[in-house]
Amino acid sequence: MNLSKPLDVRSDPLDLRRQDLAQVYRPQREWIDGRGLLIVVAHFFSGIGAGAWLWSTLYDFDVGRWIAFACVVALSGIAHLAFLGRWDRFWRMLRRPHRSWISRGIWSIGVFALAASAGAHPAIAGSAAAPVLTGVSVVAACAILAYEGFVYAASKAIPFWRTRLLPTLYIAYGLRGGAALLLIAAASGVAGFDVATVETVKLWVIVSTGVLILLYLVAGSRAGGAARRSVSELVAGRISPAFYGGTIVVGIALPIAITLLRDTLGVPDRLLLGAIGATSLIGDFYVKYCIVKAGVYTPLVGATGIGSGRGAS
Amino acid sequence: MRLGMVIDLKRCIGCYGCQLACKAEHGTRPGTTYARIVKREWGEFPNVRKLSIPVLCMHCNEPPCVEVCPTGASQKRAADGIVFVESDYCVGCRACVMGCPYGARYFQDEPRDYFETGGNAYEQQLYAEHPRGVVEKCDFCRSRLARGEQPACSANCMCKARIFGDLDDPDSEVSRLIREEGGFQLNPELGTDPSVYYLPPDR
Repeated sequence: MNLSKPLDVRSDPLDLRRQDLAQVYRPQREWIDGRGLLIVVAHFFSGIGAGAWLWSTLYDFDVGRWIAFACVVALSGIAHLAFLGRWDRFWRMLRRPHRSWISRGIWSIGVFALAASAGAHPAIAGSAAAPVLTGVSVVAACAILAYEGFVYAASKAIPFWRTRLLPTLYIAYGLRGGAALLLIAAASGVAGFDVATVETVKLWVIVSTGVLILLYLVAGSRAGGAARRSVSELVAGRISPAFYGGTIVVGIALPIAITLLRDTLGVPDRLLLGAIGATSLIGDFYVKYCIVKAGVYTPLVGATGIGSGRGAS
Repeated sequence: MRLGMVIDLKRCIGCYGCQLACKAEHGTRPGTTYARIVKREWGEFPNVRKLSIPVLCMHCNEPPCVEVCPTGASQKRAADGIVFVESDYCVGCRACVMGCPYGARYFQDEPRDYFETGGNAYEQQLYAEHPRGVVEKCDFCRSRLARGEQPACSANCMCKARIFGDLDDPDSEVSRLIREEGGFQLNPELGTDPSVYYLPPDR
């Protein structure tokens, strides 16, 4: 066996892990880098899908419900499974709903899938069971919207996530993303959508969640330590291009600008709705991406008073 | 019984002997280091300090990793408080990695070898105990404890900086050191109540 050739540390991707472990503020990477990005994608699709389901049920948009179902069950489901290290054991995540928010989320998605698909079955649609199944699916959709934020907020080691504002933000963005999804569907002229009705939904999209983001950042910066470091990463650090470009400009400024300029642009309403929906959806993805990416761990040593500062190995 | 460890920061010289002993015992792959050393410098010349802080799983009394695990793969053994991963139950969701404030958990997604030629027979045998796609961590060398031995890091520390024992026994050496030498935990404000204590370097 040739043992003369040592490991080339520079080319080893795990070198990043070694560097991280030596930092005072260690960034989390398992839920964002490489295959970890799939968990953000999964939460994005389940969030906008659940939001779209609620709006579609409220305004009785059949096609919207199908789109929502596809987002939650198919797209989010595939992303969830692809993210797992051992997807063949995914059913084991149903075991601890009494303790784990992930487990609660999987239950919510499962109940949603069953109730929504059963409610759409021709034999059940129109029967006395249909409203019950609709009610169950709405409750499950609400649970899906809520659980995502709590999954992050349950992470004791990452102070930036550990606030009740995060689930609120995820719920708001899920509803907003759901509305944006319907706007795109309306813009594409899918039968069954009434653009005039969607105009009302659009108000939610325009009254964006910018205020919530601002509150979240202020709360994070006031919390100090690792949470403040996360805010710094967002507004002036390695994540700032994605935050300003994706979340602020595309996700908030553009939809508002398009709405304000709609009369002067002279573009058909449907196209404007589609543009507002698309930019909002991109913003929705980026806000989740940035928040997850900004997570840094509580300093291991600095907080103990036995020494912090530069250097490590 | 609650097994725990006391690490004397005055005695530790940061030789990485514990890290190597752990590697040799468990045969973990590159990137996975159950027992690692964090080194910190502070102060300004000429008053500069450097400290070596050995870090391992803290085997918390209130383990946040166990709390967030959706499958029950992360468990705390009732008999002695050891926190471990039942790898057959783990789905690799990595919620425990997010929950652990001590960076003690490792997810093995793309296992690799130290050398291009792969591991030797000894390494290959140990690698088999680290399945792909699950999270792994220090378990206080459960197999050694079962044989009546100390954890590898503690047994091989040439400075005797690591003392292993029962925290519930007020007469044990670990309890005495914590009591008399001012033992403290890392990040106690998180409420995890770690079973690994440190003795201050200045005393």
